[in-house]
Amino acid sequence: MKKDGMGLEEALDSLEEIVQLLEEGKMTLEESLDLYEKGMTLVKLCNSRLESAQKRIECLTGELPPDLG
Amino acid sequence: MTQIFTVTELNQRIADRLENDPRLHDLWARGEVSNYVHHRSGHRYFTIKDQGSAISCVLFRGNGLSLNFELKDGKNVMVFGDVAVYRPQGRVQLVARAIRQDEGLGFRHQQLEALKKKLAAEGLFAQERKRPLPLYPERIGIVTSPQGAALRDVLRTLGSYPARVILSPAQVQGEGAEESVAGAIAALRGQADVIVVCRGGGSTEDLWCFNSEIVARAIFDCDVPVISAVGHETDVTIADFVADVRAATPTAAAKIAVPDVEQIKEDLRSAQVRIMRALWTALERKEERLEYLQQNISAKRMYSLSRDARQRLDYLSQSLDATQGRNMSDLQSRLEVAEGRLLAVGPRATLKRGYAIARTGKGLILQSHDAQPGEEIELILWKGKMRCRVLECRNDDEEAT
Repeated sequence: MKKDGMGLEEALDSLEEIVQLLEEGKMTLEESLDLYEKGMTLVKLCNSRLESAQKRIECLTGELPPDLG
Repeated sequence: MTQIFTVTELNQRIADRLENDPRLHDLWARGEVSNYVHHRSGHRYFTIKDQGSAISCVLFRGNGLSLNFELKDGKNVMVFGDVAVYRPQGRVQLVARAIRQDEGLGFRHQQLEALKKKLAAEGLFAQERKRPLPLYPERIGIVTSPQGAALRDVLRTLGSYPARVILSPAQVQGEGAEESVAGAIAALRGQADVIVVCRGGGSTEDLWCFNSEIVARAIFDCDVPVISAVGHETDVTIADFVADVRAATPTAAAKIAVPDVEQIKEDLRSAQVRIMRALWTALERKEERLEYLQQNISAKRMYSLSRDARQRLDYLSQSLDATQGRNMSDLQSRLEVAEGRLLAVGPRATLKRGYAIARTGKGLILQSHDAQPGEEIELILWKGKMRCRVLECRNDDEEAT
């Protein structure tokens, strides 16, 4: 169903998970850095998704009215 | 368990129970007006009744402004509003928000009531069946007329939220509207994460297709949650009862369907800050440990260093002593040499060059009057001494004269 990798919801969920793991502070420094990087990548992913996403309007049958194209 | 209430408590409890029941909100009741009173405060009080029963109604002044017909005893009306309890008298009443004349629809309304009963009995309206809406839908299905204002309202309200919007066009009024709407809903099967079924305001007849069984069943059969938004706030259809969520208007439906993008951005910002802060804390913790470890290392190193240093110091002081000793003996020999030199330039050497030291018993003779004529003096020569007698004493001045 999800054509382009991770969906917004999935990304936001993993982000929340990462923040919690990091805040628990039970990781080794190595793991913390890994998580930090993953978290920042997710933030970027979510932001780019929110920024760049052109809302695509499709019509199941027939043509879209010209003002919506 | 027996509980004794005060009257106030009892009415409060009844009120809580009735006023928190969603089934007693946003409802239509039809009946004949009686005991109509238009109070000078502007509020209107009356009763509506049918053959078997009656209920008090109140239409507050603000809500009465939109009344477009004369309300009076004997009028058949449909009252839209909420059930409430008038506590001072423990009276259950209908607080009206809108009132319509009930004309011509008698038969259809009876049919409608019958359909409601049937569908309710089948569980189509059951609260337990209502599904939660997805938080972040990626595909939003919309069933409405492509030409309608409702679609524009929905699209505008969805704003910049990133989702695919899939329009499933439907004819939302007139002959064949029921089948069209039901078909459009069914066509979205597997295509959407949430479906908005909507149309703008219109007359009761215009909205009638949303009261049809076929539309109700199409909504019921949906594979994803459905938000209904038909007409204005006061228009409630069977579609609204079956839908997972009823929105007052298409705009409201769109707001319910998607999260606030600004809110997500805010959440992302705060997630970023939290991640950085957590990492920072982790780093600081590790740094503290690192520092502690470093201190340990330093202490060991300091210990061995100081041991080295002590040895080195011992060695140094030994060699220092040795150096000092050598210097001392140097100094001594140099002292001896200097002594010799001193001696060399001493009075004895002068005497050796022909000088003599003259002295009496009282001391050295430096001037002519240090001795008297006839006095015995002593001369010290480079080698040996002489005893002599003074013949004459003369000053340099006298000599000059």
